[in-house]
Amino acid sequence: MAKYLGIDRIYNFWRTIKASGGILNSLRLTFRVDELRDGTLVGVDKYGNKYYENNEYIFSRNRWVIYSEKVNLDYDGSQVPAEWYGWLHYKTDLIPTKDSSRPKHKWIADHKPNLSGTNEAYIPYTTTKPKIIPWKPQ
Amino acid sequence: MLRSIVFSPSVTQGLTSLIRNNIALSGCPGSLVSQAKHMATDAVSQQSGALPGKTEKQPYSPFQDSSNLAEYAIARLDDLINWGRKGSIWPLTFGLACCAVEMMHIAAPRYDMDRYGVVFRASPRQVDVIIVAGTLTNKMAPALRRIYDEMPEPRWVISMGSCANGGGYYHYSYSVVRGCDRILPVDIYVPGCPPTAEALMFGVLQLQKKVKRMKTLQIWYRK
Repeated sequence: MAKYLGIDRIYNFWRTIKASGGILNSLRLTFRVDELRDGTLVGVDKYGNKYYENNEYIFSRNRWVIYSEKVNLDYDGSQVPAEWYGWLHYKTDLIPTKDSSRPKHKWIADHKPNLSGTNEAYIPYTTTKPKIIPWKPQ
Repeated sequence: MLRSIVFSPSVTQGLTSLIRNNIALSGCPGSLVSQAKHMATDAVSQQSGALPGKTEKQPYSPFQDSSNLAEYAIARLDDLINWGRKGSIWPLTFGLACCAVEMMHIAAPRYDMDRYGVVFRASPRQVDVIIVAGTLTNKMAPALRRIYDEMPEPRWVISMGSCANGGGYYHYSYSVVRGCDRILPVDIYVPGCPPTAEALMFGVLQLQKKVKRMKTLQIWYRK
C-alpha cells in the first residue's frame, strides 16, 4: 500500500541519509561526490578507497567507489588500484580477497595514480642520437 | 541525485515486477553466476577497536604557501576564479576524424559531460577549450590555427588521439601534420586510437585540475 502511495520513497530517503551517517554527513558526501546512494560496503583497499555495491540499481550503476578521505576533492579514476579495477569495471564478479586465482608475486609494483601535473610526472626523453645537428652560428 | 534516493530501485513496476518476483520464472538459483555475484555482495566485517582518528585531508586549494595577508587574499581570489572556470569548460564542436565519434559519446547520456559543466558551443568566440579530435592534415592546419586565434583568453587545447598527438598512423603521410602541437600549444594529450569516451572524460577532468592550479591574479600581484 505504501508503495502505491509513494510513502516508501520518504522511507528510502531517510534510510539513505541514515546509512551515510546523518544529515550533515550526507550533505558533506553529496558536496564531495555529487551523489548519495545506499549500498553494502564490499571492501576497502589499502589506500582507503571504499567499494560499494547495491544490486538493486541498474547494471553499470550498481558498483561504485568512494575515494579515500585523504584525497578530499582531488580524487580521480586512476586512484583505483589494479586489484579493484576489474571488479569495478565488471571484468570479474569476485572481489580481490575472494579470488584465489589472482597472481601474487613479490615483484608486483605498488599502484601509482596518474601523477600528471605534480613534480613526479613522467617526462619522456630520447635515448637515441639525434639525427639532426642544429646549426650553431659562429 | 535526488531521483536516485527517492525512487527505490528495489520497487519494480508494472509487468517486470510480476516476472522478477516469480520464482518459477527466474533462472536456476544455484547457477555459478548468481553464486559469484552473491560472494561479492558480502559486507565487510567491521573491525572493532579504538575509534578511527581524524584523517588528514588534502586541502582544496593548491596555493598553500602564502607568506602574508595580501598574498593569502589574492590566493583565495584565484581559487574563486579557478573554481568558476573549471566548472564551466566549454569545448568547441570541432571533429576532424573518427575521434569525433568518441567526442560525441561524452556528450551523450552515458558519459554525460554536461554534469561537469562541459557544454559544446558552435562558435569559437564562446569557447574555452578546443578538442582536436582526429588527424590534422596540412590543408586543415591553417583553418585550425585561425579558429584557435579566434578563441578568447584563457583558452586551452586538448589533443585527442594518436593522430593529433603525433601523427599516429599517418605520421609518414605527405599530407598530415605530425602532431597538432606543431600548430597549437597543447595542454592535455589524450592517448589512444581512438581514445575511449572514458579516456577523453579523464582528459577533461585532468584539464579541470590544471585550471585549478592557474595563478592568474598571483602573477599579476607579483609583477
